[in-house]
Amino acid sequence: MKHSDTIVIGSGLAGLMAALTSARRGKKVTLLTMGSGSLSLNSGVIDVLGFDENHAFVESPRKGIETLPKDHPYKKIGMDMLEKSVEAFLAFTKEYHFPYRGSLDKQIMVPTAVGTLKPTCLAPHSMDGTGFKGCSKVIIVAVEGLKDFYGDIIKENIRPLLGEDLVYEIVTIDTGLTGGRDITTLDVARWLDHDKGMTTLSEALKPYAKGSETVFLLPQILGTSGHAGALALRGKLESEVIETTCLPPSVNGLRLQKIFYEALRDSGVDIIEDTKVLRAVRKGAKCTAVVAQAAAREKTYEAEKFILATGGFYSGGITMREFEHPKEAIFDLPVWFVPGEENWSNEQLFADKPQGFAMTGIRTDENLLPLDGNGKRVYDNVYVVGRNLGGYDFCFEHSGNGVALASAYKAAMM
Amino acid sequence: MDKATVVVIGGGATGVGILRDLAMRGVDVLLVEKCDLVNGASSRYHGLLHSGGRYAVKDQEAAKECIIENQILRKIGTSCVEPTGGMFVRLDIDDPDYEGLWVKGCADSGIEAKPITLEEAFRLEPLLSKHVVSAYLVPDAAIDGFRMSWQNVESAKRYGGRFQTYREVVGVLQENGQVKGIEVRNTITGEIEKIACDILVNAAGGWAGKVAALAGLEVGVQPDKGTLLAFNQRITNHVVNRLHKSSDGDIFVPHGSITILGTSSMSIPDPEDTSSSREEVENLLAIGEKTFENLRDYRMLRAFAGSRPLYMPPGGASGRGASRGFAIVDHANDGLKGMMTIVGGKFTTYRLMAEKIVDQICAKLNVTEPCRTAEEPLVPEVSENDKKEARKYFPAFGTNLAATRLGPERFARVADSLKNHPEKRELVCECENVTLAEVEEIARDLSSFQINDIRRRTRIGMGTCQANFCALRSAAVFAKYGQDNGARDSIGQMKQFLQGRWKGIRPVLVGRTLREIEMTRALYELSFHVNGGKKA
Repeated sequence: MKHSDTIVIGSGLAGLMAALTSARRGKKVTLLTMGSGSLSLNSGVIDVLGFDENHAFVESPRKGIETLPKDHPYKKIGMDMLEKSVEAFLAFTKEYHFPYRGSLDKQIMVPTAVGTLKPTCLAPHSMDGTGFKGCSKVIIVAVEGLKDFYGDIIKENIRPLLGEDLVYEIVTIDTGLTGGRDITTLDVARWLDHDKGMTTLSEALKPYAKGSETVFLLPQILGTSGHAGALALRGKLESEVIETTCLPPSVNGLRLQKIFYEALRDSGVDIIEDTKVLRAVRKGAKCTAVVAQAAAREKTYEAEKFILATGGFYSGGITMREFEHPKEAIFDLPVWFVPGEENWSNEQLFADKPQGFAMTGIRTDENLLPLDGNGKRVYDNVYVVGRNLGGYDFCFEHSGNGVALASAYKAAMM
Repeated sequence: MDKATVVVIGGGATGVGILRDLAMRGVDVLLVEKCDLVNGASSRYHGLLHSGGRYAVKDQEAAKECIIENQILRKIGTSCVEPTGGMFVRLDIDDPDYEGLWVKGCADSGIEAKPITLEEAFRLEPLLSKHVVSAYLVPDAAIDGFRMSWQNVESAKRYGGRFQTYREVVGVLQENGQVKGIEVRNTITGEIEKIACDILVNAAGGWAGKVAALAGLEVGVQPDKGTLLAFNQRITNHVVNRLHKSSDGDIFVPHGSITILGTSSMSIPDPEDTSSSREEVENLLAIGEKTFENLRDYRMLRAFAGSRPLYMPPGGASGRGASRGFAIVDHANDGLKGMMTIVGGKFTTYRLMAEKIVDQICAKLNVTEPCRTAEEPLVPEVSENDKKEARKYFPAFGTNLAATRLGPERFARVADSLKNHPEKRELVCECENVTLAEVEEIARDLSSFQINDIRRRTRIGMGTCQANFCALRSAAVFAKYGQDNGARDSIGQMKQFLQGRWKGIRPVLVGRTLREIEMTRALYELSFHVNGGKKA
């Protein structure tokens, strides 16, 4: 039997942030993970709040949060904790050579693989659309054989957003990376981790570079380690280079995941992979241990404190085998949901109001401890974070990673 | 003004069957359809090629037609039929007396129903409920309604048959009690066009009553909605039918990598109503899990519904009680010469229905050519040699599937493109193994106006990921080859395509379907930000 101060379950952004924050407070932390976490699926930028309840664009996430209803996770977390979590995140990414930028007062506009501009709060330099400012020419860099990045549609859609007066040109580069299967951004990023790839790319692009007049818009291919690739290419071209969001795998999400794992190891967090947590052991108002399945055996992990970051419906932390019966898989926590077929979803997939089903989750008090339907605390030492929280639609309001970051930070600090 | 000797209204199985038959007999024929081909009940059903077993007790005439047509369709449309075989199983809660009636009904109708031991039944279908008490094998099969219908059209084209999609009939032109033509609205441009004809065939299925009304006629068609569920796995090997009096949710049909469970029966006022409610889904699951007890553990891809065109002769029964047979109405008897309506029937008998009405049309036109639709294959098969050659260039294991989808001419063009342009080997849809070359081939076709039209012919977006990945990719192809601004609007096309998938996902938004849709939204609403929002 293993004993820790804190056990964190789940390895998405919330789980990683909770584990790191706890460890940096001097706690003995065990992180239990089952899959690879959701960072490889999302673009690794931190949306805090992009749209309000009426689907109106929020210029300042800080001000937008004030208008949210009292049951929204941000209201439980509090502005103070949100600010501190952003500070901690910015400091950590800087320390690990992958500095993010941004603040709660202003959105950063990130170009997407379909040529729209997506608001986010914190992003690495290489995804910050502010870099388009002042340029007169945008060079869209497509890669021979790379799926999911189509210069034509990016050009068509981004033109009205950045300005009809700019010049747009598509350049296709040949990486030589073929061999019987479709290549992904990750293949190209790995190729660019090496000098040979980077030199090939920069030589191909150099003829188009005209200092601050040109900006290069690329898929997420600039290396798998922090901002090294973006720095190198920017240095060689002496022009701004910007990456778009994309379909999975998300290289930028993986870059962020990579520095989290480095930091967790540096902080002495014990990471147990491929382990499925089955159930909790309860004593009075406290959880004393969780039982997990590793290979064919069950193993018990004891701790003083538990942080549940299992990712809601998205990652299987919450399941719903039958309509109107959502379940939290490990602690059997009460799951709040919007009843009624007519409220469960909107007729339109992309609507001007949140989707009912997306609001499903666990309700907590201001300490992020789970509550039952009567508002009574269910556990005194099990904290709920990230997508497991009820009462917000992360897609509609563009708030997923922000809620994950801030709730994880707060849970770790409690 | 466009003109044809015969105009056929309705691009479902019946309509395209008539188109082919007339064209093969040398008649100048044009088919008009208000949407894309095969958009109504001909694709919105379980895809069962009936052995006739389902009708062996209630309607032996229909049962006999089924078993004969079953054999014919296997022969003329080999690549449309998956010869899964069928099984009828009786559960311990089902009426034992019915079994006897059914066995006799099959024998009387010429359907071979072979009793098998329970041990054999569980060996063939390991997931069956242990409440099964008897089992029979019948010659049911799975059939692809999209493909069969498109192959009819391809065949008709070779004989000079023509078709126009996205043309909605808005008026019937007549003079002195004789049909002169129709007025159609181009649903994409909004323009009104006239088409002259000598004979007008109303094969509009659930919409037949509405079309007849345009000519001031009355045809008793009751649209009857059938809801079905598609599961993401192959739950059965055979078509599995419950051996009891027909009811909702008692047929499982395996298709490719999925299984379809059907079907409910509900009279509806409007054939356009293809919505499904949670209650309908729950009903289907509740009955379906009697035959397969762990049904709820499988991920549902979507629910879908179509409206059967049940014919209501004055004073007849409705719903499940109504005949699944078909009827041909010659409106000369109602005072309008040259107009005929065909209603009722089922997919399995579409060819026979076409033959019967075309016989009558030919008699009017003094055409003596006999019907050859039962002998001649719909499309020449792609030769084994061509497939062998193409396998060198096809990525993954998509060659056979592509060959059956495309037919020889298109297949040859796609294989050529793959050979000469390695970059076209990219898979646009990994779920159904569809290459960029194939999507481009269909995207360039003048009958493709939206990604959904490409979907119906290539199966992109119909598999496991329900368009999460191919929506972007096919929109990019369409942006390049689309024939108008609408087709080239990449964001609009993606949203419309995903909305089409959403319609079927909504009623089954439970279990693992929830995870999939969280992913869809995270990709398109968050990462791609296609849902705009309002300026502050």
